[in-house]
Amino acid sequence: MIRIVVALLVVCLGSAARADDTVTFGAILPLTGPGGLIGTQQKLGIQFAMDRINAAGGVRGHKIAVIFEDNQAKPDQSILSFNKLVDLQHLPMIFTSFSGPSLAMAPLATRKHILLINAGAQADALAKASPYLLNTLPTLGDEAGILTHWLAKSGKTKAAILFENSAAGISGRDNYITTYTAAGGTVVAQEPSQFGQTDFRPALLKLADSHPDVMMVSITAAVQQMAQQFAQLGVKFQVAGTTFFQDPALIADPAAEGFVHTQLQSKVAPELAAEFKTNYHAEMEFFVRQYYTASNILFVALDKVLAEGKPVTGENLRDAILTIKKFDGLVPVVFNSNTATVPFDIRIIHDKQDQLLEEMK
Amino acid sequence: MLALQLLVNGLVTGCALGVVAISFGLIYATTKLFHVAHAGVYTLSGYLAWSLVGHGVPAIGAMVVAMAAAALLGGLIQGVLYAELERRRATHLVVLIASLGTLAVMQNIIAAVYTPNILQFPLPWSSRMVSLGAVRLTWTQILTVVLCLSAFAGIMWFSHRTILGKQIRAVASNPFLAEITRLRPQRIYVTVVAIGSAVVALPGILVPLDLGLQPYSGITPLLTATIAMIAGGIGSIGGSFLVAVGIAVLQNMSLLIMPGEWSIGVTFGIFIIFMLFRPTGLFKGR
Repeated sequence: MIRIVVALLVVCLGSAARADDTVTFGAILPLTGPGGLIGTQQKLGIQFAMDRINAAGGVRGHKIAVIFEDNQAKPDQSILSFNKLVDLQHLPMIFTSFSGPSLAMAPLATRKHILLINAGAQADALAKASPYLLNTLPTLGDEAGILTHWLAKSGKTKAAILFENSAAGISGRDNYITTYTAAGGTVVAQEPSQFGQTDFRPALLKLADSHPDVMMVSITAAVQQMAQQFAQLGVKFQVAGTTFFQDPALIADPAAEGFVHTQLQSKVAPELAAEFKTNYHAEMEFFVRQYYTASNILFVALDKVLAEGKPVTGENLRDAILTIKKFDGLVPVVFNSNTATVPFDIRIIHDKQDQLLEEMK
Repeated sequence: MLALQLLVNGLVTGCALGVVAISFGLIYATTKLFHVAHAGVYTLSGYLAWSLVGHGVPAIGAMVVAMAAAALLGGLIQGVLYAELERRRATHLVVLIASLGTLAVMQNIIAAVYTPNILQFPLPWSSRMVSLGAVRLTWTQILTVVLCLSAFAGIMWFSHRTILGKQIRAVASNPFLAEITRLRPQRIYVTVVAIGSAVVALPGILVPLDLGLQPYSGITPLLTATIAMIAGGIGSIGGSFLVAVGIAVLQNMSLLIMPGEWSIGVTFGIFIIFMLFRPTGLFKGR
């Protein structure tokens, strides 16, 4: 009997020792609800990076694990998940996405010194929300500025704005107005839509009635349905948007013919894309690539923290990222502040292809 | 031109909402249960039709099968879940919570099976445009108006001209008296929820045919339909339908004078004021 107990103890202690070798992080993403499509892609990006690093032996011998929590893109649910991961699981770092949830968690991250890494949300408020919130992509302000200047330069000087009534959508609208006006354009109308809704007809009708040269769009979901209903109106003016137009369903839809948009440069090697497809039976979409890149930035920072013999804390991971500053992943990501700079393209959807119009430096 | 197009769009949306309202009202007026899972039946019927169309079933066949499946599901929810809860003397609040739970389960199953992505029916004709003077509509929008108005007329006829319809109204009016006259309220409840579920499947298919399928899309129409049912007069089929159409038209037309952020708040604000002056609703149910 004593032998059995001893044997069990040895097994348990052994397991604990192995568990100590694993460094665990968190991810609070919308895995269900209207943001579920994007959140699921983000989860796959993290999973892919984690699987690859673990297959290569981990970071300095430490395996990586990620606990995923579903927040349905809701700020209140995000707070609950954050407290669960931090207070119960004692995790030093959490991946986040969507502006509302990220902004809700930011004060908690500051108070508890937990690193938040956002690779999907772009509201301007994220840039200064917390010293512990690092954004691996620029805010909408930067992206909108590039788009509006390009539009004004192209002779589109009268604009209508369709925006989502959410933190990201409103931020996008405000940036469009500020930067477009500064570029010499005039905003003649603006209309909101609700996050997750697919009936854009009333808003589109009202915007079309203002006879703009261009309609600037700041919505994060249902862009294909918006495009279809726009095409059904039978009007002929330019439609322009941001990275959220990088939706395979939208690009493949004839209704989106001629839409222009800014696009964060996000290149993936064919071998890597093929490996992803083999493992997950899906294409390596934009948000997969974003969170794959963000995960690899984290692994590089973890490597530095472990190499220096420091404890794996949110503070040390954040300091490591800001010290390393430049990361060469799928695209170069540079942290001059807690919001990274990444190169942009201006692209046009033509013949069901997303084609490069102009590379912006 | 803008006003006319907004008016017509409001009428199209209102017809679909109206059918949700009369189906929910039929169930509520008879069973006195707040059948929130009705939103799940609405959503699931669209997905069933989508699956069938994807497997090559003609659209009309898919619609009929999905409506039959919705009727079966509604009947099961009433016959198995609600009846059992009533047998155990559960309060209406407990039944409401059970109904909410059923809705959550259905939405999760739909999201797990079909993914949370917005899905579209692979029927190119559905988004083709028809110009009627200055107004442009898709074939789906035209179909929505025609079928939903037919469903409204059919329910009116069924409720007032058939024996089963009269039995349902008798049970709705006084279930104890109905039981004395050998009507079996529990059986009537199953029947009425099945009928309501089959009816709600119609907008449950037609609206996604136009705007796409989403697992969590049933709640908003159900909430609006509930308001229409109350404001129209509980038990009044015509009142529920008319108010639902009125809400949708008002929401669309309000864009002429105010930004879209205010349209929902102002529309429902008007109805709150209306209810203050006429708390029994527009029409008294019979």
